[in-house]
Amino acid sequence: MAEEKAASTEQKEMEERALSVFASERKEDLTALIIAFALALLVIFTLK
Amino acid sequence: MNGDKRSPAALIVGLILLIYGLVLKRHDAAIPPGYLLDVATYLKTTKEVVTQFSVAIWSGAIITFFGLWNLAMPSMNSKFDKMVRTPIAGVGTIIFLAFITRYYLEPIFKVWGKNAEPNLGFDFAATFGLNYILLGIVIGIIWVNTIGIPKWMQSGVKTARLAMKMGVISLGAMYSLTELRYMGSLSIVMVAVFVLGTVLFVLLLGRIMKTPRPLTGVLSAGLGVCGVSAAVAAAPVVKARGIDMAYSIGMLLLVGVVGLFTFPTIGRMVGMNELQFGAWAGTGILNSAQVAAAALIFDPKTIETLKVAEIFNITRILFLPVIVIVLAIWFAKGEEEAEVGKVNIGRVLVEKFPIFVIGFILMFAFSSTGIFTPKNYELHGKNFYNFAPEEKKEVRTRDLKKVQELIDSGNVTNPEVRAAVEKLIADRQVTTTAQTDLVLKASDFTDDKKLKDIFKDADKKVQATPPTIKMMREYMMWFFAFGLIGLGMQITWQTIRQAGGKAAVIGVIAGFTKAALSFLICWLFIKGTI
Repeated sequence: MAEEKAASTEQKEMEERALSVFASERKEDLTALIIAFALALLVIFTLK
Repeated sequence: MNGDKRSPAALIVGLILLIYGLVLKRHDAAIPPGYLLDVATYLKTTKEVVTQFSVAIWSGAIITFFGLWNLAMPSMNSKFDKMVRTPIAGVGTIIFLAFITRYYLEPIFKVWGKNAEPNLGFDFAATFGLNYILLGIVIGIIWVNTIGIPKWMQSGVKTARLAMKMGVISLGAMYSLTELRYMGSLSIVMVAVFVLGTVLFVLLLGRIMKTPRPLTGVLSAGLGVCGVSAAVAAAPVVKARGIDMAYSIGMLLLVGVVGLFTFPTIGRMVGMNELQFGAWAGTGILNSAQVAAAALIFDPKTIETLKVAEIFNITRILFLPVIVIVLAIWFAKGEEEAEVGKVNIGRVLVEKFPIFVIGFILMFAFSSTGIFTPKNYELHGKNFYNFAPEEKKEVRTRDLKKVQELIDSGNVTNPEVRAAVEKLIADRQVTTTAQTDLVLKASDFTDDKKLKDIFKDADKKVQATPPTIKMMREYMMWFFAFGLIGLGMQITWQTIRQAGGKAAVIGVIAGFTKAALSFLICWLFIKGTI
């Protein structure tokens, strides 16, 4: 019984960890895009 | 109010960097104080002191500022606090680790490798590629699997993936159209064969081993396309459960980590060039981040291997929509009900398609307009040129005499080439892109190696990387170094352990087959350089 419960908790943990990958990927991509372009513009304005 | 939000860690890390920078500044950034100069001389890093100084001062000042702010006023739940103030302690710690690894650990291993060469018979640091990228990842792995990631560092470590993506987007500015055209056409053929081949192979293995169809589906996307993000994109169309994803992520990480450490060593041992290795890494390594890591471990000084590897990686990511559709059809055919009708493939494609790839393409398009090219600089082929007259660009008098002898011999029969070489003799340096092409062609009219070198040198002397590109390259390398240490901190034994049973068997068989076949093709059939 205890083993079953432990296995179920472990499975739940694994599922949660896996599903966390789904979250916020889009926002992260957009943030990366904005920062990369902002830095590129900064470089152009300061060094060109 | 969370305890992690009031941690003094950011302040401590910031102050260490700031004090180090100020110690360098005490005399002159270029000439550090005696004891530091001794260390720099021993490590052969005296040329990097100026960069060390600016990195330490700027990052130290920013981290100290936020560290003080966090101590005085704990961060709340605003967007700014979540994105900047809360992660700063973890971000600062990773920057500090990257700093130590780049300016101290890598040089120490280089010196030790050389010192041990007479006894060992080989330079172990060079053979195993113990550079700051590899050492950073290893430190990250050791850190997370021993002391673990404290609460105050967690949100900072999560920004590693963001940094990698910023690195890839910025890399878009480093390609010329010529390079992209050449590498692009090569990558499309290779990637199409390997992506589709691996997906079909995994589907077949799944059938033979009787694994659940959703698990087979996500495994095939992950092993065929670009690792975890492909598995995530394919999950909805094959109705994958959390447990399928957990197995797949564990397996992808396991096979990816093995590839990350073995590819660069094998590549170096067989003497691959940057085109061969970049193509192999971009095809054979599973995860996008590990492709960048392997390319940088193989060649941390220039970004040529990284450029090739990322083109291959991005090409395979562009295959993602095709694979999602293939898997949706495959899954629907195997189900009693036509499940594909219940999943909106279009919506899945739009929602899961990685925007950073579009960012990379946009950055390339942006740089193709010439916006990064300052006055006096010209992009020609894959190189930048600056033809403004300067003494250091001039060909030496005795070399010009040798060139004159060639002209006098009458061997240069092409009138255009002849005119270009005569102009070189008159101006002492190359002055236009058209002339540089013709001067390089002059090598075809002689067998004298010295003369060939003179023409090559005349071209090299007018090549110059604009300061804008130099700066972008520098911060891009920091994004990658930062991202890869963070990546190491996410490689936990606990996650790898998830790769159990049939998923691991399929992963090892498919991953090894893909790596071995792509190695043979890249090594035997890809010739020449970029």
